[in-house]
Amino acid sequence: MDKLISLTNEQITNDLVPQKFGKRGMIWVTLLISLCLIGAIAYYRQLRYGLSVTNMRDYVSWGIYISNFVFFVAISLVGSLITAIFRLANVEWSTPLTRIAEIIAVSAITFASLIIIVDMGRPERLYNLLLHGRLQSPITWDVIVITTYFFISLLLLYIPLLPDLKILNQQKQNYSPWQNKIYKFLGSFWKGNKEQFSLSEKSINILSIMIIPVAFCIHTVTSWLFATTYRPGWDSTNFGAYFISGAFLVGSGGVVVAMYIFRKYYKLEKYITEIHFEKMGKIVVMLSLIYLYFNVNEYLVPAFKMKRSEAAHLEELFTGEFSIMFWFAILVGMIIPICVMLFKQGRKPLPMFITGVMIVVGAWFKRYLIVTPTLLHPFLPMQNVPESYKHYFPSWEEWAITIGSLAGALLIITFFVRIFPIIPIHETIAEQHEKAN
Amino acid sequence: MKKLIDKSAILTFVSVLMLLSNQLSAQEAEKKITKLRYFTINNNVQYLLLESVIKKGKTLSPQPNQPFEIYLDSAGVNLIAKVKTDASGKAKAFIPALLKAAWDASPQHTFIVKSGNDEIISDFIITKTKITLDTVITDGTKSLAVAVMKLENNEWMPAADVELKVGIQRFGGLIPAGDEETYTTDSTGKVTAEFKREGLPGDEHGTIILAAKVEDNDQFGNLLIQKKAAWGVARKIDHNFFDQRTLWSTRFKTPYWLLFIAYSIIIGVWGTLIYLIRQVVKIIKLGV
Repeated sequence: MDKLISLTNEQITNDLVPQKFGKRGMIWVTLLISLCLIGAIAYYRQLRYGLSVTNMRDYVSWGIYISNFVFFVAISLVGSLITAIFRLANVEWSTPLTRIAEIIAVSAITFASLIIIVDMGRPERLYNLLLHGRLQSPITWDVIVITTYFFISLLLLYIPLLPDLKILNQQKQNYSPWQNKIYKFLGSFWKGNKEQFSLSEKSINILSIMIIPVAFCIHTVTSWLFATTYRPGWDSTNFGAYFISGAFLVGSGGVVVAMYIFRKYYKLEKYITEIHFEKMGKIVVMLSLIYLYFNVNEYLVPAFKMKRSEAAHLEELFTGEFSIMFWFAILVGMIIPICVMLFKQGRKPLPMFITGVMIVVGAWFKRYLIVTPTLLHPFLPMQNVPESYKHYFPSWEEWAITIGSLAGALLIITFFVRIFPIIPIHETIAEQHEKAN
Repeated sequence: MKKLIDKSAILTFVSVLMLLSNQLSAQEAEKKITKLRYFTINNNVQYLLLESVIKKGKTLSPQPNQPFEIYLDSAGVNLIAKVKTDASGKAKAFIPALLKAAWDASPQHTFIVKSGNDEIISDFIITKTKITLDTVITDGTKSLAVAVMKLENNEWMPAADVELKVGIQRFGGLIPAGDEETYTTDSTGKVTAEFKREGLPGDEHGTIILAAKVEDNDQFGNLLIQKKAAWGVARKIDHNFFDQRTLWSTRFKTPYWLLFIAYSIIIGVWGTLIYLIRQVVKIIKLGV
């Protein structure tokens, strides 16, 4: 951070303004678009032939799509952690990370909404959810709270962007006409006067306060979709807290991965320093320990009692069909990252990046494990049920749509970085001036 | 040594024979069975129920998706229906209006079932029958009077010695009206069964369904007649249960406390969001 003090405003601006994609960037975008297109083809097939193209049947009616939805909702929570909680706690070092967290939140919540529509057999009947929705149903609460969180996140991304848009509008010669049009449309009115700053500061403070309960609601309600259903593995009073702790962990893991990639690709070492990784590392260790604590509660207590209804489910996770995935999620998603990041060397950028990837991948499989195995063990099994009902492995269409949605979320982040500064320019300059004085 | 060889040869021969006989008996044990049943419900709906099963040892397993053709009186002429068995190996066929003339022409009919070119049922003969059910109250004693009539030379004649069940129709089956499980019609084709099931719950008016049933009679098939009578106990239906404002009710019956909490939160949060959008508009106006 001290390196910043010696930088001029011009240097900071030049370092942080959006840059054109290089060769690697173009390959990355092509890859993501290709994955999205394959996902779109698979979704066309699902629309054409119905949900029968998936491997979801009467037992597993929430498959990979709902696992993916829970994952997206979880990762989106990081916006509230880094932007709001850190802001209200006056954590100054978080400035370069706020926009990364917010764009992850916006892209993830966008695809969480889309993946719910994908899970519907007849998406053209979506309006029925609004026309005939029951306020008693957690699914209705989820629709309301996701929409609310999306708008708050969007505002929290947009309002702090206004001073940077002024900088971009002043450098028209450096950007293509389509970029200038976007900057003009979104921020030509920002003059940076005292009144505007006062209004924007006030708005950001209100948003920062408001996003925290809404973020807690969004994931608590998502957890209640499961916990309000009496099924082995879901029948828990801890589910809200368990989901939120997991969400903060995966979100932070995602931010760490993004920090490393942006730092390396855009050469932002002066702005996202080793200190940032060091501090994020400590936070991620704490979040991993909290999540591990909830996992111990969620699995050890039912395993100690081994109620008949829970036994088949738990045995399947510990030693059965899902055991490899289960122990992978626990070890790779929590225990190994804790062991690595407990040490100072483990909190260096590269080990942090690797552990960040491990956390995100482990978290994705953890959501799959929360959703699927439970559904394979109904309290009242059907008689003479076809063999295909007793096992679930997603079809290629389900994989393609899921991977396509993940690629789509990454594509939003990638295009955002191409158009807007990923590290707030104005705030960085202002902080430098404050430190200099 | 020779004896030993002889013994082992005999043992091998016997074992092979046993194995072969086992295989043969296993093959023989598998047998396709097709059954046809005729039903008359309340004297106006006639239909046929075809059932196709495979008998393997002692177990019967249904044969789904098997096509059959059912004819009236002569194969290949009066087609009743082309049917395909469902997952339970059953198929239903109603006698079509097109065959009214052929149906009315005779008091007796033969049903023929073909599978491909094979005539697998050709001797299923049914005599047209009528069954009536009346309620009688004599000196406070309630009875069910059932009469079975068969069609002979275009006249309805009493059907004697027909075994039938008389009782009260419930979801699970027929509760016998009196002490007897079954009754047999006399020479006038009639049966009277005393109603001894006082106190059975009926609907909100005390209505129960009385019924008389002939099952798989060789001559008449299956007959069922039903009649409503207010001989049950009127049941109070609790309409209030679904009328309450509960978490399991319809959206029009949401509990007030939930409406209050949910709308307070929604109005509070979205009110603030609208306020913030106004702040953004103010920011825009300040810069224009």
